[in-house]
Amino acid sequence: MSKSLRRLIITLVILVILVIIVFAIGPFYILNEGQQAVILRFGQIVRVDIDAGFKFKVPFIDNVARYSKKIQPWDGDPTQMPTVGGEFIILDTTARWRIADPRQFYSRLGTMNAAFRRLDDIIESAVRTVVSQNTLNSIVRDSNLINEIELEIEAEEIADVSIVAEGFDQREFEQQLAQAASTGSQPNIERGRSNLSLESMNISGPTIQELGIELIDLVIRHVRYSDDLIDRVYDRMISERNRIAEFYRSFGEGQRQELLGLLENEQRQIISEGYEESEIIRGEADATAARIYSQAYSASPSFFEFWRAIESYRQTIPGFNKTISTEIDYFNFLHSASGN
Amino acid sequence: MSDNEQPKKPRRVIITTSMVLMVLIGIFVIAGAITVFFQVDATEQAVVTRLGKYHRTVGAGLHFKMPFGIEIHHIVPTELNQSMSFGYRALEPGIITVYDTRDYPEESVMLTGDINIIDVEWVIQFLITNPRDWLFNVEDTYKTISDISKSVINRLVGDQSLNAVLGPARPAIEDQARIDMNDILDQYAIGINVTTVELKDIVPPSGRVEEAFKDVQDAQQDMERLINEGQQAYNTEIPKARGEKERAIQIARGYATERVNQAEGDVARFNAVLREYLNDPNTTRTRLYYEMVEDVFNSKTAETTLIDKGLQNFIPLLNLNQGQQGGAQ
Repeated sequence: MSKSLRRLIITLVILVILVIIVFAIGPFYILNEGQQAVILRFGQIVRVDIDAGFKFKVPFIDNVARYSKKIQPWDGDPTQMPTVGGEFIILDTTARWRIADPRQFYSRLGTMNAAFRRLDDIIESAVRTVVSQNTLNSIVRDSNLINEIELEIEAEEIADVSIVAEGFDQREFEQQLAQAASTGSQPNIERGRSNLSLESMNISGPTIQELGIELIDLVIRHVRYSDDLIDRVYDRMISERNRIAEFYRSFGEGQRQELLGLLENEQRQIISEGYEESEIIRGEADATAARIYSQAYSASPSFFEFWRAIESYRQTIPGFNKTISTEIDYFNFLHSASGN
Repeated sequence: MSDNEQPKKPRRVIITTSMVLMVLIGIFVIAGAITVFFQVDATEQAVVTRLGKYHRTVGAGLHFKMPFGIEIHHIVPTELNQSMSFGYRALEPGIITVYDTRDYPEESVMLTGDINIIDVEWVIQFLITNPRDWLFNVEDTYKTISDISKSVINRLVGDQSLNAVLGPARPAIEDQARIDMNDILDQYAIGINVTTVELKDIVPPSGRVEEAFKDVQDAQQDMERLINEGQQAYNTEIPKARGEKERAIQIARGYATERVNQAEGDVARFNAVLREYLNDPNTTRTRLYYEMVEDVFNSKTAETTLIDKGLQNFIPLLNLNQGQQGGAQ
């Protein structure tokens, strides 16, 4: 190896080592976007760096404690807690917070874990307090909207049935249906879910602020009943539905009966009309025939009497088993040619 | 290429300082070149930070940045429509979307304003609109979006009645949810825009509650069926009745015609005979009489017994043992 080559290699190695040393203990560090840092010298906070970029510090002596500047999520464990009415609900809350004062945050908390633990305590207790002072309705709902649009929706939604029938009154049907389906109105609330979240935040705010944290918001992610109450709710829901089903069936049956009654009435009417008309026709025909007969027969009543008798004998007597005396006129010439 | 080439053959390759220097410079340059270019797709944008600090945002194409990590670029998919589903999962989104049939009740089962329980599935779609905000303002962006989505839907559903949520309030909830979500996420400056919120299946909780709901639909159908039955009966019977009425009238008319014709026929015959009688009463009378008696005696269906008027020793005796004959047969 040539001497100059060896020199080059040594120079390079020294350079590399120097660079490494500089970077390690260096008089600078890079603060990325979304980060903030607290500079500690001999355990004391000397500076807080908030803006990202290339920063200077005293080597060896200064320590950099980095914290996120970003908005952090906080998750509460879904816990069971009672409302003012004693119903146990399971509330799942979530919050957003930031390290607003890194200096304070460092002195009071130091680590994110510590922050989460404190937030758990503070927020959960605030939420629990607020819940215990308010009704279930206030926690579940946000406004009194439900009472304002209740009736409209019931009829509209359920009466999506198209019924074509004689004498069917759509409006009355809808009214009765709305009645059957109505569950009554809900109690009005003065404050809703959003207000309660705000109140929880206000309660916990000051304490949290002292920790160098800004609580940005606190919302309820999920409300539900505790398990033993669920059955009761289910029972009620089922009986409400049953009532509606019952209504449909009995209404249908009622309509059917009405239609059948209508049917029978009309049927009778039609048939009796037919009877009446046919009797009239028959009667008129009989009268005409009688007129024809009497007009003709009255031309000679005596001959008519004879002729009619003759015709009648022809019809009836051949059917009798008869014993006839020879005295009848027919036999006048039987015993003598001159008749007796 | 190493600069520690040990010559194994007697032929010696001379490694000069300048050669090594050139190789090193070459590596340096190539390394620099590689880290100086970066490409951004049409569906993306890139945020470039210089020494940690935000410097610029660039769009699609080939770009330069300072090498060796002085400038770092972060690619953000801004044209990509991202979606999140709640209460269900689409396993393989594609032409036919396959859904995970497991429920996710911890997400989907919620309370309505009239303290009923309901199962709501929904999906949101969003676009990243501000890459810088997206990268640097919020920790765990997807979880934050998910949390807010759940809390908004939970709140909106909790403000309505069960019947409303099942039907007529759906579009209003979808609309309001999108607006509310964007309001809140804008407060965080998370850099996205929720483009749609779509409610999917909204059903009563499974089990006996679901059955009760189904029964309502069955009852609706029962009602329609009953009314139709009534209607049907009406539609078939009334025409029948009308037909009967017509028939009765027609029969009566038939009778009427027959009766009048009969009368006219009878009368015509009478008038004809009457004319003869008026011409010659006695002989006509006699003739008619004899014709009648002939017809009577010629009967094939009954017996005729003659008794002479002179016979006085016979006692008329009716033999009742021979059974009834005569009259109607």
